[in-house]
Amino acid sequence: MKAVLFDGLVLGLQYGLLGVGLTLVYGLGGILNLAHGQMAVVAAISAALAMNAGMPAVPAVLLGLLVGGLIGLLLDSTVMRPVYKERGESRVLLSLLLTIGIGFVIDGLLVWQFPIATLRLNIGGGPISIFGVPMRAGSLVATAVALIAAGLLVAFFRYSVTGRAVRSVIQDEEGARLVGVNPAAVRTLIFSLSGVLAGLVAVTRSMTAPIGVTAGISFTILALIVAVIGGLGSVAGSFLAGMILGVINTISSFYIGTYITTIVLLTAAAVTILIRPSGLLGQRE
Amino acid sequence: MTVIAAPRTTSSLTRGLLPVLVTGAVLALVPLRYGESRVMMGIAVAGVLFAAYAIAFNIIFGSTGQLFLCVGALAGIGGYTSVILSDQFGLPMLVTIGAGTALAGLFGASFSWIAVRRSLDTIFVGIVTLAFSLAFEQFILGQRDFTGGETGLRVGTGGDTFLREQVPPYYLFVGLLVVYLIIYLLLHRSHLGWAFRALRDDEEAAELAGVNVTRYRIYAGVIGSAMIGLAGALFAHVEGFIGPSTYSFGSVDIRVLVILAFGGIGTLLGPIVGAATFTVLDELLAGLTQLRVVIYGALIVAIFLGFKRGAIATVASWWRRE
Repeated sequence: MKAVLFDGLVLGLQYGLLGVGLTLVYGLGGILNLAHGQMAVVAAISAALAMNAGMPAVPAVLLGLLVGGLIGLLLDSTVMRPVYKERGESRVLLSLLLTIGIGFVIDGLLVWQFPIATLRLNIGGGPISIFGVPMRAGSLVATAVALIAAGLLVAFFRYSVTGRAVRSVIQDEEGARLVGVNPAAVRTLIFSLSGVLAGLVAVTRSMTAPIGVTAGISFTILALIVAVIGGLGSVAGSFLAGMILGVINTISSFYIGTYITTIVLLTAAAVTILIRPSGLLGQRE
Repeated sequence: MTVIAAPRTTSSLTRGLLPVLVTGAVLALVPLRYGESRVMMGIAVAGVLFAAYAIAFNIIFGSTGQLFLCVGALAGIGGYTSVILSDQFGLPMLVTIGAGTALAGLFGASFSWIAVRRSLDTIFVGIVTLAFSLAFEQFILGQRDFTGGETGLRVGTGGDTFLREQVPPYYLFVGLLVVYLIIYLLLHRSHLGWAFRALRDDEEAAELAGVNVTRYRIYAGVIGSAMIGLAGALFAHVEGFIGPSTYSFGSVDIRVLVILAFGGIGTLLGPIVGAATFTVLDELLAGLTQLRVVIYGALIVAIFLGFKRGAIATVASWWRRE
């Protein structure tokens, strides 16, 4: 039971990191990026290709994260430009439809070019015991990376000037503009960051299970569930929802079965919307 | 919302009927050219099926702005209900098709009711129905005893009737399509259509003017969903096989969205134009199977960036500019 709970929390951290990018991009620009998971997969596959070409694991992973960030940057500076001209609900709708299309393009290109590429990071060493729970080295490293990333993110939003600028734009775009924050630059930064974070999740996941080229859609759906339950636009909410869902996921797949688990997660998202549309920690309008 | 084209407000039902009948007549000519080929008739049936889905989705989304991202799941409810009830419980086919249609309508009604009650935005309706679609897919995969899981179900009922012949099923679907177009017309030419337009233009003003928002949203949700369920159920008996991919989000909803966006959301013939275009396009791209997904994705992006009001509206505006 302890091991299941621990696994759940580790998974939850990764879910949180996956949701944060989606939730921030939505909170900042009203963009619902349904190609979020595809950014993660491209990052992971880039790392895998670099490793196949003989690059050591750490630089290959960093390269992968860079690619993830570049895709975010590219999306923000090309296809999303006309979307930012729209307002309110039609902006969200247009972004949703466009990113569905972009996700298809990325999926199709990946399957076409690299049908059998997978990223699998094997971290050697036997099981290590932590608080009496035997852990594989791979999931330990994954946990450490996720913890550090989450810590850095929280610190970034709490203490850095840029992080505060981001929060100010989420709260009040006009107000932020008046005190000299450039919302467009903040959006670009966060879109790229969401690509890096998505890539990070794919890489840490690959330490315990291989990531294939078609995993994009399931990453996107997970991110969407996490972001919705946590409250669109809330960083803390995303991590909280991630942890809860991670624990639910491992408990449910351990005791009931995997196919019910997906239904449980999806139902949780739907019920959250119905009971509390703003999510766990989202701000009410 | 800018995505939606403004409909004409004045014209009688009879004037609207003419394009419907012409469409039906043109579609009825297809077997003259391709009736010899089983493959081509299969493609034609699928094309008409998607036009039917798109008309129903147009009633729900185009007319009342409810983004139901569960067209495939609703069709699947119709299809699986009908096939399971008739093959495994021995009920007559017409009864089970009716049951499937009614169940799909019931689901649509509850989505609309919940959305109105909780006053959910378009996006949240989209996310809830998307979650439902994916949960439905998992459910179908999991309930192996009834649904056959991943391998799917061979449909016995209807096997010895005209439904499995080469050309008659096509006429059945063209007939269904004409009926759907007439339903769309009737909805839009009645006081319901007036309410729909008022709702879409300004929900608050409509409510103040005495339009019962809840009731009209639910009407559209029920009618549209039942139409999707009926088409899905009929298709199951014609095709003779159903599986998870017959009704999956990836294979139905995305396509319906592209068809409607291309043809024009909120237009009578948009779904037909869209479905015809993409059926032909599919055949042209048949040699490029691997790149088809990429081309579809790129088309979605191009359509929504360039032709936000749909092909018909865009072409019409060029026409007027001349």
